[in-house]
Amino acid sequence: MSESIIKMNNIAKHFERKIALSSLSFIINKGEHIALIGPSGAGKSTLLNILAGITNADSGEYLLDGKSIVNYQKRNIRSRKIGVIRQQFDLIASLPVIQNVLAGKLGEWGFFKSLISLLFPIEKETAARALNQVGLLDKMYEQTSRLSGGEQQRVALARLLVQNPEVILADEPVASLDPARAEDILSLMTELVKDKKQTLIVSLHSVEYAKKYFSRIIALRDGEIFFDLPSEHVTDSLLANLYALKGEAKDG
Amino acid sequence: MGKFLYFLTYYKKSLLTLLLILIFVWSLFSVQWNADLLHPGGGVTTKQIFQALLAPDLSPEILILALESTWITLVYAVAGMSIAIILAFFFGILASGVLSTSRFNLFAVSGFFRGILGFTRAIHELVWAWLFVAAIGLSPFAAVFALGIPYGGILGKIFADMLNDIPEEPIKALETAGASKLQTLLYGYLPLVRANIISYVMYRFECSVRSSAIMSFVGLGGLGYQIQLSLSDLQYDEVWTFLFFLIALVVLIDAWSNLLRKRMVL
Repeated sequence: MSESIIKMNNIAKHFERKIALSSLSFIINKGEHIALIGPSGAGKSTLLNILAGITNADSGEYLLDGKSIVNYQKRNIRSRKIGVIRQQFDLIASLPVIQNVLAGKLGEWGFFKSLISLLFPIEKETAARALNQVGLLDKMYEQTSRLSGGEQQRVALARLLVQNPEVILADEPVASLDPARAEDILSLMTELVKDKKQTLIVSLHSVEYAKKYFSRIIALRDGEIFFDLPSEHVTDSLLANLYALKGEAKDG
Repeated sequence: MGKFLYFLTYYKKSLLTLLLILIFVWSLFSVQWNADLLHPGGGVTTKQIFQALLAPDLSPEILILALESTWITLVYAVAGMSIAIILAFFFGILASGVLSTSRFNLFAVSGFFRGILGFTRAIHELVWAWLFVAAIGLSPFAAVFALGIPYGGILGKIFADMLNDIPEEPIKALETAGASKLQTLLYGYLPLVRANIISYVMYRFECSVRSSAIMSFVGLGGLGYQIQLSLSDLQYDEVWTFLFFLIALVVLIDAWSNLLRKRMVL
């Protein structure tokens, strides 16, 4: 039995009077690849923000690698455990690609080291290795804004490789990409984390991608876990109910 | 009554426009439209000024004097802008509050520095010039500080506003990658405002050349001072020579800033 990295126990979160998440509990083991699906407004982003330690839950217990999340308040300690990737708006468009990749090192670097690196990039080999893994070695010194959307997402991935956290959270990382680019990023992402035995949790709109690239699917609906199953046990009728509009029949 | 209120709200903008036009027309009545409105010798002077425009004084002495004065004006502007940029950089960052960690901190620090920036730019550079001339005499320092302080206030305010308007996603992403506040400044805020702030600084530099020329009217040397002397002597042809040098200076700076902007297009 593999050991657990994330334990969620009765996690709840309210925004004003609206319930965003109500008593979620689940355990995630090291090295698992999990897709988080569910209709818009089901609480996927809120859950990922809580997992990332960006938002605090109102009640419940969240253990990250055996310790409560409150022990990870220091950013550079948290960044070794958890890395986040979103859509490509996460990059600094006016910086060269190499600086965006090396930003994954900021948690380890002090102020002066990061200042010097901005002028004369240090640890170039680290950046080059990461860029090589995502297939963008030739764009190392290009300005990030000149890259296409798919390429920018690869740069964000390279930053995560440099940061090298134990858990990777991705909030709709392929939402703004066309199907070919989206599959490309997802397969790259799942391949790269497999090498390092990292844990991957990705929220997705597409059920098809979730089934194809992930071994376990957690579905959220109205802030609750609708199902939490291995991908091969997810049936079409379950999915139909998950995405059913309010008022439609929930049985069947 | 209800209908009237509806009319008022629906045509609010048009009614306001109408009101403003009426106020303008009314203001015309307060002008006394008679022969005293124009200076009796004004026509002759206007003619002289326009004749001089076509025949500026291009004698070597005047050209050399104009060149020297242009140099002084430019030097004051550059030195003043250098001070302004340094002031704006530090005060702007503090006023924007992007480094603040707590809410209280944000209000106290950014409020304090926004206050200072507001104070320095509320006073016009010409007034600063008078104050400095009174305090330290007709020295170049008076001109440089008189320019640098209010321009620092303006640049700092714009810089702070630009920092505040940055989208938060890239900054959040840096924070989750483990960056401290100062590191987000280096890797996030500063690169993101760079293009805009440089283009605004170039525009302000152009303004500072004009200000520097005007400021020398208080006796600090430079193009404005020469224009004033020539005006007192009614030498309009010399006035135009100096003005052409001023125009050339501004046009050159504008060309340079265009060149810079083109290279920095995102």
